[in-house]
Amino acid sequence: MTPEEASASAEISADLLLSAVKAFLVESAAHHLEGRDRFNARVAANVLGIVQREQALGPALQALDQEAAIRWLPPAKADESIAQQLSRALASRELAPDSAVFDYLKARQLLVTAINNPKYASRAVAEARWQRA
Amino acid sequence: MHPNELSQHLTTALAPLLADKIGGSGVSGLERLSGGANNETWRLAWGETPLILRRRPFSAGSVASLEGNILGLSLVDEAAVIQLASQTAVPVPAIYGVFDEHHPIGEAFVMAFIPGESIPQRWLTEASFATARDRLAFQCGEALARIHAIDCGNLPSTIGPTTLARRFEAAQTRLHAFGDISPALQFGLNWLIDHAPEETPHVLLHGDFRTGNLLVNKAGLAGVLDWELTHQGPPGEDLGYLCANVWRFGQLEKPVGGFGHYAELIAGYESIAGWSPDLNTIRYWEIFAALSWGLVCQTMGALWQSGQGDVERAAVARRRSEAELDMLLLIDEWENG
Repeated sequence: MTPEEASASAEISADLLLSAVKAFLVESAAHHLEGRDRFNARVAANVLGIVQREQALGPALQALDQEAAIRWLPPAKADESIAQQLSRALASRELAPDSAVFDYLKARQLLVTAINNPKYASRAVAEARWQRA
Repeated sequence: MHPNELSQHLTTALAPLLADKIGGSGVSGLERLSGGANNETWRLAWGETPLILRRRPFSAGSVASLEGNILGLSLVDEAAVIQLASQTAVPVPAIYGVFDEHHPIGEAFVMAFIPGESIPQRWLTEASFATARDRLAFQCGEALARIHAIDCGNLPSTIGPTTLARRFEAAQTRLHAFGDISPALQFGLNWLIDHAPEETPHVLLHGDFRTGNLLVNKAGLAGVLDWELTHQGPPGEDLGYLCANVWRFGQLEKPVGGFGHYAELIAGYESIAGWSPDLNTIRYWEIFAALSWGLVCQTMGALWQSGQGDVERAAVARRRSEAELDMLLLIDEWENG
């Protein structure tokens, strides 16, 4: 790609910016740091990965929560998220932990874990088990 | 505190304590080891002898309102429990000096350095530890049975008896305090309450007996570390905790810490205790261990939000999703096979 062609390409997305900073942290900064700071540079790069995945998968998670709210919750309270309202309804035992609730939580958790820690070993086990069902 | 200042305080404090135990006249080579989200761990030398310093970088009082006992005992009480364990055949380091939060060093203790591998990613995979791995689940069963036989009457007063009902209440209080943001953990807590085993007599539990807190040499178990979460509870709790998914380092097919099988752990325990722990009870406590990990993750996030800790604490807060996934997966396996 020539410089002219490159300049004609689209805006650098937030996702690409995060990738650039991740690469800087792991491939450059970490090599110039020692001990705790070096460790934290890698942690910071992982954190940016969480942000990237949340940007990509967040809308699906919100849609799933919205369906749950329509099904199980009274009209939303502005100061509480759907997750909070469901937690409180479970804690007070107003919402029974039946198989439909369990299935929703399982589907939700596959998305949440895909955002926060997609390489976590039991995610693959859960995915194979729950997507088959 | 700057390492040079810490080094000077340590030299002054340790000189009388080590005078007739270890040759040397001062601290050298003080270096912070990485890892440890609550307490700092430092390596140092006294003369030619390597030692380990555990130190809490903040006062116990400053965090008490945030997490109750989730961050564990004071280091003074932790040292007292290690000294009790040292009177059994459980491999623990000798304690040389204990300092409370009013000491210039800060709340801390200094202990012997036990040679061995502490990084699980090494001893779980390297061929040179194959024999150690084969023995380890049985040895862990033995060690846990010995810990559980320690007389609770000799414990510091902070490690009192409790009940399952109070544990559930404490977990619920924390879920509320952290804003009820996890329906999965709430679902799991409800399940644990509804499926609680009958109360059995409580024993001293290590409370954090997992792969990352074991020191391993070529012969197997060389040291049991990190006693800060010690508490009283039913024996199955420690066994289930060791088998929790989150501590298997990805080796899910080896339920005991990613290195062994249930039967080996149970046989080791029975060889010392004289009775055989029930597998279903162990599985129940695996689910409880997932909840505990989720609450620890939330505590880390709360500490970070209160200005204590670095980016690792913020990142650990998101690892709550591991605990949530495991609770749902284990409950599903329990209910549906």
